[in-house]
Amino acid sequence: MEKEKLGIYVHIPFCKSKCGYCDFCSHVPAKGEIDRYLNALMLHIQDFSGAAANYIVDTVYIGGGTPTLLDKKQMKLLTECIRTSFKLEKDAEFTVEANPGTVDKGYLRALLGMGINRISFGLQSASDRELRALGRIHTRDEFAESFKAARAAGFCNINVDLMYGIPYQSAESFAETLAFVKALDPEHVSVYGLKIEEGTRFYRERESLPLPDEETEYKMYRKAHSFLEAAGYKHYEISNFARPGFASRHNLRYWLDEKYLGFGVAAHSYFKNQRYAYVSDMEAYMLEMEHPQNMSAILSECSDIDVFTKETEYVMLRMRLFDGVLLHEYRNTFGKDFAKKYGEKLRRYVDGGFVKLDGVRCAFTVKGMYVSNYILSDILDF
Amino acid sequence: MSDKQKHIRNFSIIAHIDHGKSTLADRILEYTRTVSTREMEEQLLDNMDLERERGITIKARAVRLDYTAPDGEEYVLNLIDTPGHVDFNYEVSRSLNACDGALLVVDATQGIEAQTLANAYLAVDANLEIVPVINKIDLPSADVDRVRNEIEDVIGIVAEGCPAVSAKTGLNIGDVLDKIISDIPAPTGDPTAPLKCLIFDSYYDSYLGVVVYVRVMDGTLRAGERIRLMSNGAEFDVVEVGSMEPFGLQKRDSLSAGEVGYITASIKYVGDTRVGDTVTHAENGAAEPLPGFKAVQPMVYAGIYPADGARYGDLRDALEKLQLNDAALVFEPETSVALGFGFRCGFLGLLHMEIIEERLEREFNLDLITTAPGVIYKITMRGGEVRMIENPASYPSPDEIEEAAEPVVRASIITPTDYVGGIMELCQDKRGTFIDMKYIDTTRAELHYILPLNEIIYDFFDALKSRSRGYASLDYEFSEYVASKLVRLDFMLNGEQVDALSFIVHEEKAYPRARRIAEKLKENIPRQLFEVPIQAAIGNRIIARETVKAMRKDVLAKCYGGDITRKKKLLEKQKEGKKKMRRLGSVEVSPEAFMAVLRLDDDN
Repeated sequence: MEKEKLGIYVHIPFCKSKCGYCDFCSHVPAKGEIDRYLNALMLHIQDFSGAAANYIVDTVYIGGGTPTLLDKKQMKLLTECIRTSFKLEKDAEFTVEANPGTVDKGYLRALLGMGINRISFGLQSASDRELRALGRIHTRDEFAESFKAARAAGFCNINVDLMYGIPYQSAESFAETLAFVKALDPEHVSVYGLKIEEGTRFYRERESLPLPDEETEYKMYRKAHSFLEAAGYKHYEISNFARPGFASRHNLRYWLDEKYLGFGVAAHSYFKNQRYAYVSDMEAYMLEMEHPQNMSAILSECSDIDVFTKETEYVMLRMRLFDGVLLHEYRNTFGKDFAKKYGEKLRRYVDGGFVKLDGVRCAFTVKGMYVSNYILSDILDF
Repeated sequence: MSDKQKHIRNFSIIAHIDHGKSTLADRILEYTRTVSTREMEEQLLDNMDLERERGITIKARAVRLDYTAPDGEEYVLNLIDTPGHVDFNYEVSRSLNACDGALLVVDATQGIEAQTLANAYLAVDANLEIVPVINKIDLPSADVDRVRNEIEDVIGIVAEGCPAVSAKTGLNIGDVLDKIISDIPAPTGDPTAPLKCLIFDSYYDSYLGVVVYVRVMDGTLRAGERIRLMSNGAEFDVVEVGSMEPFGLQKRDSLSAGEVGYITASIKYVGDTRVGDTVTHAENGAAEPLPGFKAVQPMVYAGIYPADGARYGDLRDALEKLQLNDAALVFEPETSVALGFGFRCGFLGLLHMEIIEERLEREFNLDLITTAPGVIYKITMRGGEVRMIENPASYPSPDEIEEAAEPVVRASIITPTDYVGGIMELCQDKRGTFIDMKYIDTTRAELHYILPLNEIIYDFFDALKSRSRGYASLDYEFSEYVASKLVRLDFMLNGEQVDALSFIVHEEKAYPRARRIAEKLKENIPRQLFEVPIQAAIGNRIIARETVKAMRKDVLAKCYGGDITRKKKLLEKQKEGKKKMRRLGSVEVSPEAFMAVLRLDDDN
């Protein structure tokens, strides 16, 4: 019998410094903190070995934070722990996020040796001024060096993260960033719109940030689409572009209703019809792993996914993909007709050119994707 | 005059708002030991929460006090409280007619204000003996002599030797009681003559039915007798008569000429027992009713809608309950494309409207959307037919109108002289016609204007307060209908008219108001997927326009590490917000946006 597929996410909540826009779970580590956390993390991973015995892992994603703050030895321990705890598919996609300028060829080659075959660089912008404003610690040139080092080390699946709508950015500087990235020829590009979240430095300074106006921001979104599509990247998800065959399988699994286990603080899981996440409190997390008492005490949320929720989530998640909801697949999964259920509500969006609904699929247009929350919150029932 | 009548005093207390009427009433109750300090809730006469909070008396109340004078004589004092606001002028005048005298309370620091005068004139009209009482003498800025002179000069009544008290501390309250006994005449009237009782208040009680408060002018009434209401001929059998004691009704055998008391007669609707009507016996009744009765008519109309359309039924029930005790409130169902099902309600005035709104929200827990208040316009059609229009929706098209007329009021404004210039400017701006100005003393003046009522209800009161730093006071009464250049101003969103936003306005005011409201709409309408043009129009003529820009970004770009829950919560929250939205064609507007647009506070 073919085993069910599973994805693994591991969260490394450390950074050299905190960026102004970042509301993810990360902080500058204290001395010895990385080792202690790593130990807890590995106990956590080993603990799930039994539960995942009947699954085959086809994607692993080590994210952060900055996972490459782990030195070679630490990274080796972690990846080996993952390999011994789970059954990994032979050609599993194994990604690590890396901060440009913090990795050299030797380190990258070591990663490759650990079975890591995909690297994701957080470039964000090719303008040093914009990078400084974001609070990033690297420069454009340092990134180029890291990127070339990764290629030289032998990575043939590299992602570059970009952002639009950031301080000092203009339509021109963004176009320049796109051209710069294209010249390096990565397999995958992610383009995120900056969202100013409460609790960040940007939020406190939001009144005085020199942000591009919303028209410019929308132009950048359109530009990313047209430029990268013309360069041979398919815009397959809201923020993701890939060369044929290089769409991130780990990223896709989030939208395709596939299972994943998360490890570490603030990590999210979707497993056995439950969605749950761990607390972001480092001390609570590590103590529980070191001296297990009550795992549910370190869950920040946990919910059962019933059929009704599953249907809502299905539409919400698939619609993030430009492939959208395939109508026959929807019917096979839920035994209902998609057009019958949503057609009436969707009509004004279809008429307005925000949604395409034909006999095969329902999907956002490029323009519609940009206001997808508005439309989804209107048509879905929660 | 019978011996019984000699020992009765029927009086009320009149004052400008905040001059201490209710506090004085409390002290009098306390002083006569009817109520001990401990037992007493502050301001016993005002028994609605709202009244206590606002410090105003909305409906008249009455209470009977037993008082033993220093000379040992025992008296019955009937204190009849009156509403203290212009909206309730008629009710005040009826209450005063039930009395033989009135205490005119004047604030020792502020002196005479507009309502002091208005009330004093009403008391004079009712032939009452007026006893001035100067209050708040405990305050450092009290100037008793100045206020005494003002009373003599402006109102023209003797104020020498009038009580100067502090209702707050209880100082000199005894003087007030002495004056009530010595100066206010005992009631007259023949206990054997045909029955005439003046209705000055009524309320609905779920056990007793309507409880009617009356002053017996002539004759004697007993339980079991059959009575007739002279304005409408309705007849009832009296179940009970009695007096209003501080802690409830006290049944008595009879009420006779000169006495104040209540009647219950299984009456179902307060609307049957109109204030000012005369109660007589069904057989051998009085030939003529007491003078002065008129059915009160609403002056101000507005649409009231539940913010949540599903609560339409609750709103209807609530209005029906309020109407049980408030015959002046009228309402009928109304439908608006924008706001759904609601009611067009008529009120005595703005304050009355605010009170009803607050009671609906507070006592019935309703969230309301209220359209801009309007007045009743008198439209003469080309064919000669005359229509009274209280709803902008039914305003005829301009080419059908021969003449449009609007109600105007006689307004009296008392203000420190420093602000006269600003106030005259304001009245001018509000299309007022100056009548005259009198100096009350060297520092204060009284202005008289004819003003359109629709300007008063728009935002006049707030503007007056802000131009006089809160010192000017206003009183007004309906005068007449005068021809006026009126237009209906409509608003369109995305080319579709929003009925709830239409209102009638003087031609000159149409442009600035259209611009202001279009701006407010722009500020408050949430961005839509499409650009939304806002237009203000008179007929087919667009006189102002704005645009709500299309929404740009509404997407969660990053769903970090498979955090689906966050995205779902975000969408759920958005959905919640959307549920409250009213859809006008292709445009969604929140109730809050409507409220913000319809609120008339910060502009003119």
